[in-house]
Amino acid sequence: MGQFDSVLNNPQTRRTFLRSMAVAGGMGVLAACRKDVQSGGSNGGASAAASAIPPMSAETGELKIHEWAGYEAKWLWRNYAKAGYPEPKFSFLTNTEGAIAKTAGGFYWDLTHPEIGYIQDYYDLGAIQPWDTSLIPNFSKLNPVLQQAGQLDGEQYEIVLDWGYSGVIIRSDEVDPSINSYSYLFDDALAGRISWFDTPWLIAMAHVTLGLSSDPLDASAEDLQTAKEYCIEKTKNLHSIWVDYTQMWDDVSQGNIWAAYSWPDTYVVLKEDVPVEYIKPKEGVFTWAEGLILNSATENYHHAHAFADAWSDVTVGQRLVSTWGYGHSNLDIDLSQIDPDVVQAFGLEDPEGSLNSGILDAYQPQRANYNRAWDEVKAAAG
Amino acid sequence: MATGTATAEAIETERPRRRRAGRWRVTGGLLSAPLVWLIVFFLVPVLLIGLYSVGALTLLRNDYYLSMEPWRFFLSSDTYLGLFWKSVRMSLGVSITSVLLAYPVAYLLALIAGTRKYTLLLVIIVPFLTSYLLRVLAWRVILGESGVANSFLQTTGLVDEPVTWLFNSQFAVYLVLSYVWVPFVALPIFVSLESLDGHLLEASSDLGASRMRTFWTVTLPLSLPGVVAGFIFVFIPTLGEYVTPQLVGGPGGFMFGSAIQSAFTAGLDWQFGSAMAMFLVFAVAVLLILFGRFLNVRSVAE
Repeated sequence: MGQFDSVLNNPQTRRTFLRSMAVAGGMGVLAACRKDVQSGGSNGGASAAASAIPPMSAETGELKIHEWAGYEAKWLWRNYAKAGYPEPKFSFLTNTEGAIAKTAGGFYWDLTHPEIGYIQDYYDLGAIQPWDTSLIPNFSKLNPVLQQAGQLDGEQYEIVLDWGYSGVIIRSDEVDPSINSYSYLFDDALAGRISWFDTPWLIAMAHVTLGLSSDPLDASAEDLQTAKEYCIEKTKNLHSIWVDYTQMWDDVSQGNIWAAYSWPDTYVVLKEDVPVEYIKPKEGVFTWAEGLILNSATENYHHAHAFADAWSDVTVGQRLVSTWGYGHSNLDIDLSQIDPDVVQAFGLEDPEGSLNSGILDAYQPQRANYNRAWDEVKAAAG
Repeated sequence: MATGTATAEAIETERPRRRRAGRWRVTGGLLSAPLVWLIVFFLVPVLLIGLYSVGALTLLRNDYYLSMEPWRFFLSSDTYLGLFWKSVRMSLGVSITSVLLAYPVAYLLALIAGTRKYTLLLVIIVPFLTSYLLRVLAWRVILGESGVANSFLQTTGLVDEPVTWLFNSQFAVYLVLSYVWVPFVALPIFVSLESLDGHLLEASSDLGASRMRTFWTVTLPLSLPGVVAGFIFVFIPTLGEYVTPQLVGGPGGFMFGSAIQSAFTAGLDWQFGSAMAMFLVFAVAVLLILFGRFLNVRSVAE
């Protein structure tokens, strides 16, 4: 005690003491933060969880699901609801990158719904474990091309459920559909009538339009530079870079935009009222796919599998394709019940063939480089 | 007797000491809540962002560990420094426009409106009871290619084709941001003008000064603290602004704040985003010091 008093009463020593305390405190904060990040650094959790899974009856059944807004709709997991399990609690994500950051910061969910290109990030954080597909009766009916994309090290880390194209919607009264290319998005003849979406995928689209040789999603430094410069040059043709989906729909509908980066639902929404066509470019259409991943620390292992099975059901797929214009992984969908225009536009007669001929989303090891290149493009647009 | 005197002296010296100690306790008590708030919600986050920017904290396995690489890339990049200057230009433009638009409003309220000034002040604030995004998006209805303004111009025959620079343009960014910030600038100017000593204006008039001369030599100089406060109220937040330019700025709506947001979200590049965010914090601090010196805030306030 006396020693402590002398420390506090001697100004020089007190300053030294306080400085030491501050440093120690700072190190504590640092250590805590690093622990948070590094705790996800290995995948030991997956095997530990798998080796000691309690039976379903021992689970609380209160699933926490981090989902896209709109995906909480009960019809998407009707069979799970009908089975009488406790209703899941949904929280919502606005982009997968934000969800990954929240997960790294300790945010907990049992299930979340990322695109296949981000499974590796969750895996690297140690946040996910492989599914036991034998607990998902509908799994055998799901598209094997998509399920292959949900695997890491030969294990099924994502049940890939919904998919769609990132193609081009065009006003067919103003633009020739037979060109059938991503070049619509860069065409000088459409100056002032083109709208891009705010995504680095535009650089990959420029890459395939130019016919560059490397992988468009993991381009060589030279090809990335060429594609970026092409985008920069073509910003002069832009009407807008859309961030608000409905604004883009309005602009296409009113004829302000003649060619826009879009997902298939734009076509489903607009085709009755406006002359539009959905273009799956000849270079190969960029295709996104997403599904459910399972937290490595979930305490609701069996409920999570039951939920994924409900989502995989053919009735869900039928309705998803008809109303949202998205693809569903279930191959038993009755196409006779779906608008023939939609079937034709999305190549649903042969979903495996359509997926194989396109450019399926994948993990982007150069994501930061693509993003910085995309920043340069947007900066040049101003 | 000597003991009595000593006791009295001791009491005399003890009282002010107690009073001082009491004052310190009150001051400390009053300051503790805002200080804790500032430390927890400002200083600690800024410290964490700083640590991310130099790789003392990492998010993903590919992140740099203890490295100045994010700073090196940022400071050597014409693109990101260019975006910073673009944001500075926009903030300056919006701040100046807001002050110019807000001053007459504040003047009217404080010196002309009389007893109705608080009612009118409320009227100015009413639009701010609705959502920020809603107000910004409402401009689309007004300025869009098929919006109210273009419909009016076409109906009256003033133009044949819609005016495209009204929306998805730098003009739209300046207009909407100025609209958003005018009331925030008007308030401090209003307070400055309202606290003006009316006798000074009367004295100026009695000495033969015209209304205009009174304004330039008495009213405006004395209201400068409010003008400076209003200017800074707008300048600092708009420097990092990215939502409004993104919604109404079109292809040119990509600002420095957008680049920070993009690094933290689409790029999952927290270290680079942190370097840019820290640069913004430093830049704001330096610009505030420069403003303080250039505008001589203290002497204006006195």
